[in-house]
This record gives sequence, structure tokens and C-alpha cells, in this order.
Amino acid sequence: MIVPLEHILILAGLLFFLGMGGLLAWRANLIMMLVCIEVMLNAVMLVFVGGSARWGNADGQLFAIFIMALTSSEVSLALAMVVYLHRRKRTVDTDVFSEMKG
Amino acid sequence: MTSGDMMALMPLMILAGGSVLVLLAGAIRPGYYLYEAAIAFVAGALFWTVAVPAEATLPGLAMTPFARFFAVFLDLAGIVALLLSAAYNRRRGIVGEEFPATLLFALAAMGAACAATDLLMLFLALESFTFAFYILVAIERNSARGGEAGLKYLLNGTLSAAILAMGIALLYADRGTLRLAELVPQPGGPALEPLFLVGVCLILLGLAFKLSLVPAHLWTADVYQGAPAPVTALLSTASKGASLAALLLLLPLLAGWQGSHAILWWLALLTMVSGNLAALVQGSIKRMLAWSSVAQMGYAALALVVAPYGGARAAAFYVVVYAAAGLATFGAVAVLSDEVERDGIEEYRGRGYANPLAGAALAVGLFSLAGIPPAAGFMGKFAVFAAALRGGETTLAVAGILTALVSVFFYLKVVVALYMRPAEGEVTNARPLLISEIIALAVPMAATLFLGVYPAPLLDLLMRVLP
Repeated sequence: MIVPLEHILILAGLLFFLGMGGLLAWRANLIMMLVCIEVMLNAVMLVFVGGSARWGNADGQLFAIFIMALTSSEVSLALAMVVYLHRRKRTVDTDVFSEMKG
Repeated sequence: MTSGDMMALMPLMILAGGSVLVLLAGAIRPGYYLYEAAIAFVAGALFWTVAVPAEATLPGLAMTPFARFFAVFLDLAGIVALLLSAAYNRRRGIVGEEFPATLLFALAAMGAACAATDLLMLFLALESFTFAFYILVAIERNSARGGEAGLKYLLNGTLSAAILAMGIALLYADRGTLRLAELVPQPGGPALEPLFLVGVCLILLGLAFKLSLVPAHLWTADVYQGAPAPVTALLSTASKGASLAALLLLLPLLAGWQGSHAILWWLALLTMVSGNLAALVQGSIKRMLAWSSVAQMGYAALALVVAPYGGARAAAFYVVVYAAAGLATFGAVAVLSDEVERDGIEEYRGRGYANPLAGAALAVGLFSLAGIPPAAGFMGKFAVFAAALRGGETTLAVAGILTALVSVFFYLKVVVALYMRPAEGEVTNARPLLISEIIALAVPMAATLFLGVYPAPLLDLLMRVLP
């Protein structure tokens, strides 16, 4: 393998924490939160593909494909909810959706 | 796949196939008869699981006695939730075939989570049933709370899915396999690498979200309050049971690493304390029950800390007992809610006399959650604390007993409102209960009382299932 596993892990770690940091910092906008979660899941797929290349089996690649299928369904559901909530309140600002507290 | 494997996997296939059939039948002829069809599918899966004790080992899935035990538990909870929702959704105008179909799909995925033998299947099953619950939580289109709860659950849930997947990815990158049996560290083997330990920690954090253990519990109250009551009943019982089963399957990975003990220790302590304290100040019954479910999972986590000393059995027993009580309480909330959800604790004043069966189910469920004999919650707490003391965790056991004492206050507050305070204004006549609602309330109530008086059969069964 030309690229050592450490490099892949470092890149994936950076992406993962970038996504998580963005998610926690950018709480105001629903769409940006979804983008940040996608970035985190891409980091996960990178680790799986890197691990697959390290061990020479396809399990990791298989897992990465399943993650793609799962996240696309999750994102489609999330966007459907965003559209629905947007119709109700005319905004994607998360602070507006705070009917329940306590 | 041989025919023997087919026989063993049939319950899962009945549920998954039933989900698709209900969805297709709804496209041809929509109507509430689909709920009965869904109940028939779940009952079929339940009957098959009990009647055909076939075992099978396939790549990724193994139908073991452990998986079959949890399948029976999940199917029973699913039937109760379907019975409740059939009547509730009619009253509230929740139409469409997607509700029973999604619920069946969730049951199939939860069954698969309990039978997984590799991390790919475990991850897919966990995420599939969580995905089904995103839909079920937000299914009530006319309610502003439903959409908000669904979105909050979805955002938190995908974050936890990413964390869980990262944990699995790190384990895979370290060891090159996804099969649980090969990942278990050998005693006396080489020291565990940091990659493996970070992966295990991330997996624990991801599962802590599913079990709503502190610090990953913040979604619980909002989602439980915003979701329709029968969905909350299923979410707080079956999904917790399936997640606990998944955690029990993963526990061998933690063996031989001291740090995991400390993590579980703190998770259990923080969850018990903050769940019970937050429940004290809630004015809404669903929020109170949500925080109480956080606290109850703290007791289950306490049992997992001492898993080698019989704690795993105690945790499984506890989650069954909790599920019976949770179905009774949320079922009563569902039955007592009419066009609007009856949410404030004050709104339950005098309902114990106006609606005796629902009042009794709510009271028995609350007694069980509080751990007052003869309800089953007492036996559950007794089993957990006994295991904790056997394992030498005196501090945790004392903290658990103290927080359980605190919890009696907020559970009894509801019972007092039910029976000892007159209702404000004139008492509206309660509508007569349907047969389905009577069954859905009576079964968990009877199970709670029976397990509280005579828990030996279930404990013996768990002895065989979790050696």
C-alpha cells in the first residue's frame, strides 16, 4: 500500500472532528448541520476503505457502501422533515423550533 | 442457506415480509384493517419463535437462545404497541399504511440487532430500527411537536450513528475483521492497541445514545413528549431492550480492559443521579416518564458494570420488567388522551375513578417504576443491587438505592393526582374502552404483577439464555 494507514487516519480524524465541531458550533442552520454530519460519515468511510486496503479484504469496502445507502436514506428523510418544518415556520433556523423545553 | 436456517430465520422474515405486504396492501386498499394484519404478522412471528426452537448460524446472524429470548420480548411489546396505536391513531386521525408497516420494519430490525454476530449486521440493524423510529416519531403531521421531535431525534441520531460507525471503523482498521468472535481480546494475548481502545470508546458512546445514558440523553425528553404516546411506549421499551441486547453482545470486547469498567461506572452513576433529579421537576407526565426512563437505564447500566457477577442477567431481567411497566404507563397515557394529548400531571386529577382500568394500569406501572412491592420493579431493582453488591460495587449500589428512594416522590405524585385529588370542574364521562385497549393495558399490568410475585420462571429462563 502506497499511502500508510497513519496518514489516512490523520486525515479521517481531521475530517471527523471538523464535522463534529461544525455540527456543535453551527447549530443555527439545519442544512449546515446535515452537511456536517455528512462530512463525519465521509471520514468514517475513509477509515473503512483504508482498513480494507491494509488488511486486503473487502469487508471494509462493503461497510462503506452500506454507510452510503444508509446515509442517503437518512438525509432524504431529514430533508423531507426540513421542507415540512420550513412550510410551518418559514425558516431553517433551529432556534425557532423550541416548543418543548424543560 | 439450508432449510434449517430458513426455519430459524422465519420470524425475522415474517416481520420484514409483512412490512412490505402491509405497505403494498395499503396502496391497493387503505384502511385501518392493516393494523389487524400487522398484529397478525407479529403474532405469527411470535408463535414461530416460541414453537420452532430451531437454531442457525449464518454469516452475520445467529439465531441463538439469546436472540430468541429477545425476539419474544420484542414481539410482545410490538403487539401491545400496535393494539394501542390502532385505537389511538383512529381517534387522532393518523391515517396511512406507513405506520403499521414502519412498526413491523422496526421490529424486524430490532430482532436482527439481537441476533447479530458481526459489526456490520449490528450497525445496520441498530440504524434501521432507529431510522424507523425517526419516521414513527414524526408521523403525526398535524402536530407541531411531532415534527420538532422527529427532527431533534434525527439530528442527534445521525450524529450518534456517525460516532458508532467511526468506532467500528477503527476496530476494523486495527484488527481487519468485523466478526465479533474474532475481535474479542484473548486473555494473555498482546496488549490492546490505542486504535482498538478508541474504537471501543466510540462504540460505547454511540450505544449510550440509543440507551439514553448520560451524557447522550438530551434528546430523550423532547422526543418522548413530541411523539404519539403508543410510539413512545414502543420507543421506550422495545428499542431500549434491543439496544441493551446489542450492548450485551458487545460486552466481551471490553473484557480485559480496566478503562471500560470506569467508563461504565461513571455512565451508570451520572445516569441514575441526573435522570432521577431531572424527573423531580417535570410538570408534564411524558417528560417525567422520559427522565424516568433515563434513570431506569442507569440501573440497567449499573448491572452491566458487574456483568461477570450475574449482572448481565440482572440487566436483561431489569429491562423486561421496565418494559412491562413502561408499556402500562405509556399505554395508559395513550388511552386517556383524547383529541389532545393529556400531558400535564394536573390533568390526571380524579381520572383513576373516571377510567378505572387505565388508572389502575398507570398506578401499577408507576409503582413498578418506583420499585415498590408487589410490582415487578422491586424484584428488578433487587436483582440489580444484589448483583452490584456481589461484584463489590458498594458505592454504586448505595447511590442506586438513594436515587430510587428519591424517585418514589415523583412517581407517587402522579398516583396521588389520580386517586386522591378531586378533578377540577365537572368530570367528563370517560368513553368506554375498546377490546384492543383493554388487552393492551391488561397484559403489561398482569405481567408486572406476576413478575413481582413470582419472578422465578423468568430468572430460570435467563439463567439458561445467558450462562
